[in-house]
Amino acid sequence: MGPLLTTVAIGATIFGLFLALSWASRRRASQSRHRLEDALKHLFDLEYRGRHGSLASLTGALRVRDRAALDLVKRMQTQGLLVARGAEFDLTPEGERLALQVIRAHRLLERYFADEARLPLPQVHAAAERGEHHLSPDAADRLSASLGHPSVDPHGDPIPTREGFVPPAAGTPATAWPIDRLARIVHLEDEPPISYAQLVAAGIEVGQMIRIIDSSPERMVLTDGENEFRLAPAVAANIFLENAPQAPALAGALRLAELSTGQAAEILGLDDRCQGYSRRRLMDLGFTEGATIRAALTTFAGDPRAYEIRGTLVALRSEQASQVLVQPLEKAS
Amino acid sequence: MSNPNAVAVLQRAAELRATLTGQFRDETVKSIYAEAERIAGRASHHSGTARYDFDQRIDRIVTSPIFGLPIMALLLAIVFWLTVAGANVPSAMLASGFFWFEDQAAAVFTNFGAPWWVTGFIWHGVFRGLAWVISVMLPPMMIFFPLFTVLEDLGYLPRVAFNLDFLFSRAGAHGKQALTMAMGFGCNAAGIISTRVIDSPRERLVAILTNNFVPCNGRFPTLILLATIFVGPLVPSAVASIAAAGTVVGVVLIGVVVTLAVSWVLSRTVLKGQASAFTLELPPYRRPGILRILYTSIIDRTLFVLWRAVLTAAPAGAVIWLLANIFVGDVSLARHISNALNPLGHAIGLDGVILLAYIIAIPANEIVVPTLLMVYLGTGMMTDDVSLEEIKRLLVTEHGWTLLTAVNLMLFSLLHNPCATTIITMYKETLSLKWTVVGTLMPLGLAFLVTFIVASIW
Amino acid sequence: MSAHDCGSCSINAELARMGVSLDKVDRVVALAGNPNTGKSTLFNALTGLKQHTGNWPGKTVTRAEGAFAFDNVRYKLVDLPGTYSLLSASHDEEIARDFLLFGHPDATIVVVDATAIERNLNLVLQVLEITSRVVIAVNLMDEAKRKNIEVDVRSLSRDLGVPAVGITARTGDGIHGLLEAVAGVSSGSVHTEPLRIKGTPEFQRAISELVPLIESLAPGVPNARWIAIRLLDGDAEVEQALSSGRLVDLVASQQETAQRFSAKISLQGTQ
Repeated sequence: MGPLLTTVAIGATIFGLFLALSWASRRRASQSRHRLEDALKHLFDLEYRGRHGSLASLTGALRVRDRAALDLVKRMQTQGLLVARGAEFDLTPEGERLALQVIRAHRLLERYFADEARLPLPQVHAAAERGEHHLSPDAADRLSASLGHPSVDPHGDPIPTREGFVPPAAGTPATAWPIDRLARIVHLEDEPPISYAQLVAAGIEVGQMIRIIDSSPERMVLTDGENEFRLAPAVAANIFLENAPQAPALAGALRLAELSTGQAAEILGLDDRCQGYSRRRLMDLGFTEGATIRAALTTFAGDPRAYEIRGTLVALRSEQASQVLVQPLEKAS
Repeated sequence: MSNPNAVAVLQRAAELRATLTGQFRDETVKSIYAEAERIAGRASHHSGTARYDFDQRIDRIVTSPIFGLPIMALLLAIVFWLTVAGANVPSAMLASGFFWFEDQAAAVFTNFGAPWWVTGFIWHGVFRGLAWVISVMLPPMMIFFPLFTVLEDLGYLPRVAFNLDFLFSRAGAHGKQALTMAMGFGCNAAGIISTRVIDSPRERLVAILTNNFVPCNGRFPTLILLATIFVGPLVPSAVASIAAAGTVVGVVLIGVVVTLAVSWVLSRTVLKGQASAFTLELPPYRRPGILRILYTSIIDRTLFVLWRAVLTAAPAGAVIWLLANIFVGDVSLARHISNALNPLGHAIGLDGVILLAYIIAIPANEIVVPTLLMVYLGTGMMTDDVSLEEIKRLLVTEHGWTLLTAVNLMLFSLLHNPCATTIITMYKETLSLKWTVVGTLMPLGLAFLVTFIVASIW
Repeated sequence: MSAHDCGSCSINAELARMGVSLDKVDRVVALAGNPNTGKSTLFNALTGLKQHTGNWPGKTVTRAEGAFAFDNVRYKLVDLPGTYSLLSASHDEEIARDFLLFGHPDATIVVVDATAIERNLNLVLQVLEITSRVVIAVNLMDEAKRKNIEVDVRSLSRDLGVPAVGITARTGDGIHGLLEAVAGVSSGSVHTEPLRIKGTPEFQRAISELVPLIESLAPGVPNARWIAIRLLDGDAEVEQALSSGRLVDLVASQQETAQRFSAKISLQGTQ
């Protein structure tokens, strides 16, 4: 009995060690793949904004030592993903292709986490950062389709197509925007996270219409017509703007949540910020341009309220109801 | 696997998609509705102004900021009061009848020379388990389910969800969770399946994990029995059944509070996220069909739940009989186990037998009270008259129950782990072992914690 | 009142409820409709089954099947989950849509709430894009009457290009007429010309270019136009069915993987 037991014990130990080792090496391999993909992404981001990567930018972005960054660069060179021109790095077409795959996965996941899983916006980036390395190109295609092929991520960054096409960078930083010209926010840079968190906390979102009312080296003051946002120029530089589209005359337009109970209105449309499942469901229920709607019932807390639309009674929370733009009707009914 | 021609078509479709203006889906839905307006305008006309008047008048009352919530509480109380007040007498009659039959049958067996353990196993084990389950459960279900079905068919449940949504939205949960909780009154497994009406995966998971805090029909008899025995006598007998019903409503409200609290914590910790789109249609009221209600509530619900209870009660009865009749040393196995569980039980204001009953009742909560009574009785017999007084005498004078025991047992029954069916359903709906384990152990931990705190400060 | 007033004739003379005896059916009929329009009530009335009905939206979350016979023809009736649309890609909508698309029903009854025709037409028009063998059952005619709403089912039928029948499923009123229409449409003896949404000129151009491509790729496909629309919208299931060449029978396993996939992602997101 003794020798047999010993044999079994030794066998089990060896087997266990083997498992642990193979697990560790698999983990190391996948970690180094993740790091490589992060490096590709970083270099592509810089190129997209017309700059070049360097060893210093890599160590900063990946938070690794010089030594590790150097190893990484060598590896990318031997794999034909990167060429070094002096101190500057450029991606090869193959490197760009791989980078775009990761970026596509990342931005699609951001869209998913923001619209469908409804994570808070500041967490979306980190969640996508974890998921991007595990989403195969096929899975990314399926995800894209199930999201209705979105073209931009929640920060306004374009999502590369399956074929690797990505439109040129859009928008002018708010620091370079003339005072008092109406602008639409097209992009919020999500790096570094601290200044992005500030923008989100202030209530600044992609799709919002703003004007700059004051600009000095210490402070920039922006307004959306209701609130004023005071930001450090370094933070404001992360807001990218475009000329506002000529909005149709919306004199007297209200948000549905503002309609008083019993009042009827005509729907003008859904806010651009209402995306994903929320938008699709509202449209399905008949919240489309031109429909007549009436605020019918209010609860104890004033929220949610029920609205009469197309012969049915639908309850909405004020969060949804404020994404529906309406034009109150004269006392018709 | 992919066909090159197909890839070309998909490619072309993608290119064409880019040529379309605006958001494709928006435009599609808009043009569909434009067409719908045109057709509906021609096909349907409403004469007079009394179109929605009646429905809306009711709605303005039942969802009114002032009356909405009180009406809801009152309806709930009425349902429970009818159940409590109506179930007592038939329950006692059923039990007496069954036990009379048990005695006769056992006597017949003995007369024909069957060994004592055959008679005991079949009649005092399996049959007695069945008898208890049917007499404890059937009457309350026969009253509760039809009443509940009336409310459901009327269209009242969506109004409840509408009224309560402000609480759920603050807890980071979906307003339709109230609908799934209402389903949970019938059966938590059904409640968990009904969470499919919640589209957001995060909020659905919150609803699944907390559905257990709605006492299902298997647990109501326990609550009703305890409320009737222990709370009823504290007040004048004229209002005893009202006080008992009030107690059950109180327990349900505690369940709602716990649900909201747990949802709130989940939404801020492991299931972080914002509330998703909430759209809830409030359907027009419909007059319920009496026959359909009877069918639904009796065949679909009562018999379904009862049958499940019977399936577990028979083997449970057998197990209990074996535990009570297998002796190790001088003491029965049941006594051994319950003695071992006693310290834990006493710490939370209960005792070892109650915990043993909960362990045996994992397959179905319905059999907790029957198990309890059978273990307490051991091999002994109940007197011919199986009344509530008799049960109370057994619990209070012979086994030292106090009001604390009753309160904590009600709390434990409300909070403890879901039954086996519910756990399996939870796994099927989440496909995640992790969340199933959370959904099982989190309530159990909470039950121990709450009862421990109550016992400490009592 | 209903177009086919059948107060005097006996329904049971021709309708035989067959419960769950699903073997040897001659034709398959799908039952679609918005939530809460009385679909389950109609299902029960036709099959004699007692599927649970309750007055809250989203009650029927899975597919139920039953059988009935009418005029000596045996029908299998498939009760699809109630949906407001087929475009939002929620799970119940996928079940409903996949059955209409790949289950090849001989006829589809779309149940419409007579008190909210406009909203219900959204789904009707989407179903008409998929299949032309449709019968509209305008249910809850009694409720409409109570609310002083007059429904002209003939106008509806004329506009939609498919038969429309007013019924009250709860009392059985009008069901005979509905079954006659179902028999006609499913046998092909009643010709339908379903209304199709026109949309913008770009949309029409895109559709007219894609339809022949799809038809050459999958000859004999009955609803190339609808598939073209879905491709333009980027519908994952349809793209997959097309590229894998299994357009005609979207297998259940495929659905399951898609579902697992999304479940997995959503759980990742919540951790």
